[in-house]
Formats: sequence, structure tokens, C-alpha cells
Amino acid sequence: MKKFVKPILIFIPLAAIQLTVIPLISFQGIFPDLILILIVFYSIKEGQIFGMILGFALGFFFDLISGGLIGSSMFAKTLAGFIGGYFYKENDLSNIYSFNFLFITLLAGSVSSFIFALISYSNIFTNFLSLFFLQGLLPGVYSSIFTLPVVVLKPKSLIE
Amino acid sequence: MSSFFNDFKEYFLLAFLLTISLVLIPLNNNPQVKNLRTFAFGNFAFVNEALASAENFFALPQKLERAKKLNAELMLRLNLLREYGIQNIQLKKLLRYAERNKFELDPARIVSRLVSLGRGSVIINKGKNDGILAAMPVVDEFGLAGFVIHVSPNFALVRTIQNTKLKISITNQRSRENGILEFNGEKFLIRNIPTSADFKVGDRIVTSEFSSLFPPSLPVGVVVAKERSPSGLLSSVTVKPFSKINKEDFVFVLKFVNQAQVDSLKLNLFRTEE
Repeated sequence: MKKFVKPILIFIPLAAIQLTVIPLISFQGIFPDLILILIVFYSIKEGQIFGMILGFALGFFFDLISGGLIGSSMFAKTLAGFIGGYFYKENDLSNIYSFNFLFITLLAGSVSSFIFALISYSNIFTNFLSLFFLQGLLPGVYSSIFTLPVVVLKPKSLIE
Repeated sequence: MSSFFNDFKEYFLLAFLLTISLVLIPLNNNPQVKNLRTFAFGNFAFVNEALASAENFFALPQKLERAKKLNAELMLRLNLLREYGIQNIQLKKLLRYAERNKFELDPARIVSRLVSLGRGSVIINKGKNDGILAAMPVVDEFGLAGFVIHVSPNFALVRTIQNTKLKISITNQRSRENGILEFNGEKFLIRNIPTSADFKVGDRIVTSEFSSLFPPSLPVGVVVAKERSPSGLLSSVTVKPFSKINKEDFVFVLKFVNQAQVDSLKLNLFRTEE
């Protein structure tokens, strides 16, 4: 239970940035998802079960505070925690401090954004491929770019 | 059995959590869920407001707020003048119309926004304590931007017009043709109007007298294209909205809400969105 305190504390400023600053750099509804990066990070660090529960809880909080459809982010973020947790290695953080983190975020981000879009925008897109590309892959790529500071700077304080 | 559960516990947990998420989606209109949401966004908006204030620190926000309010008032007044010019025959009607359009504008700052293709929403720093009620229309300095959907004591959640469920009853300001404007996730369309309907590129689109949610003659957008359906009988008109709510820091709540209208069955959209 104690392990959840730190990511939840980090979530508060991240969610505020996600709702105030990130919209300024979004285009055509495509935006980087900082909450997703946090969930993937902790899933790789702590494991699949931890990642799923964290994704579920943070997704719920985000749905509540953002005015979004309650359940949609929960679903997508739980899935992101599940995917991120696949790459968990006990006592080995090489997946966080290498470009693997970028690719894992790309994978988890693409899948979760796509599922989120299926739940939220299914009435908008009739073309499955364009939905996957525009609302799955592109947001995943955009989010993964934001993992670069972790990959390049390797901040030790995050791991402690 | 126990070993089977242990082997697949991650998958069981995943299925369980995903099921709960899916079950919650249809419960969004449940009064308890609504209260929880209002409580949550109302409290977290303080954090967002602090961050938004820091962003605007160098922008002299109060001066900007006054200027934008003045601009919005002028926009509405200009729109009324256009109406006078076009509808000079219906003078009596116009006078009544003018009385109805003395809108009280309450400026509000956007403290957070949810980027979403079909359900865009923003949170503003005005709430019940400022006299804001659910269903009040929201404009920016250019035109109709959305409507209030949830209100906490100090903040309000505004659903923007970029909402696939929103159908706006509109009128062509020049030809007085009516139609229903909707957002398809990419652009705003007036669908299935007769090909003979008088819509031309450049026509201004305003809210209609028939709108149960918005007051009449709020500027909505401008016609940018008209396309015939393959059968040739019907057309669809593409409208570019005036509102730039995705880029604006300030909006204005029109203190207009007709209780009789709120009670009417016509506000089905508002009810589903609530």
C-alpha cells in the first residue's frame, strides 16, 4: 500500500499539467499523455499487478477531475499498466533507463489510446485503420517522445 | 485450482478491473456519480487554477479580461445590428428580440481543459457562488463556445460545442433558413437540408429562435462549403465555427437560463450530458 503513495503524489502535479499545459501543445485531438508515462514507469518498476491497480486508480481519478467519461480512462490506463508490467524484471531497471522505455511507452500508449478512442469516439470514425493511426499510433508516438528526459537524464531520484 | 488461479492471476485481475471500468461507463448519469464528479473537479480545479494563474502571470490577466469582455459585448452588439439591417420588415418582432438579448456576461478564466475529439470540455473558475447554473450558454469573444454542464461552488464544467452529441438549432442570418448543426468529430455540418435551401458560402450562422438550450442570434459560425448528396435532393453545409475555445484563456457565461425550457423534454441532450 505504501508503494502507491509516491505515484499518487506525483500524479497530482502531472494531472494539473495534463489539463492546463498539455492542451497548448495538442493538435487535432492528439496529445502526449503524462499520466500514461507515470503508469508505464511504475508498471515496469513494480510489476504487472501493481501497474494495473495503479492504472485503474489513476484513470478513475483523472476521469473525475477532468470531466471526462468516467470509466474510459480507467479502462485504457488499466490496460496500459498491464502492458507495461509485461516488461517488469525483478531487481533490474534496464528497461527504464534505456530506449526500451520509449518503445514500451509507445506500445502501451498506442494500445491504450486506441482502446480509449474506441470507447469514446466510435461514433466519429468509420474507418478502423484511420482510428488506429490517428487515435492510437500518433498519440503513442507523441507520449513516447516525452519519456526521453527519463531515458537520457536517468534521474536516480525516481527509482528510490 | 489454486495453482491455476496463481498462474493466471494477472489476467483475472485485468478482466475484473476492465469489467468494473465498463460497468461504470453507463453509470455516468447516476446522481451519486455526478455528485462525486462535481466534488472532485470542484476541488482539484484549485490546483489547476494555481497553475493556470502562474501561466498567465506575465499577461496582465485582469486587463486582458476587461478587454475581452468588452470585445465579447461588442461582438454581440454587432450581431444585433446585423439583425436589424436584415430584418427591417419585422420591426415589432425585432424590438421584442432586442429586449431578450440584453445578455449579462460573466467573465471566467479557463483553468483546465480536456482534449477530446468528440467530448471536449473545460473547467472555468466561476461556480454556484457566482450565480452560474447548469445549462447556461458560454461564449468566447468570437461566438458560441458551449454550455455549463456541472456546477460546484467555485467552478463549473463546460461542455464545448465540439461535441458529437450536441445538435444546435441554427438560422442562416441572411436567408433565415433553419437547420440543425452538428459536429462529426472533424467538422461542423448542417446535414440533410433541401438542395434548394438558400445557403451560400460566407453566410453567417446564428442560433435559432427554436433552440431550447441557447438564446437566439448567438453567432455560431460561417458557411464555408455546400455539397450535394449523390441523389441530388439533399445537401450538407459545412460551417466553420467562430469560437476558438481551444486557444482562449477566457470565456463568458451568459446568465441566461429559462427554467421552463430546462424542464421541457427538449433538453434531452443536456440531460444525457449531465
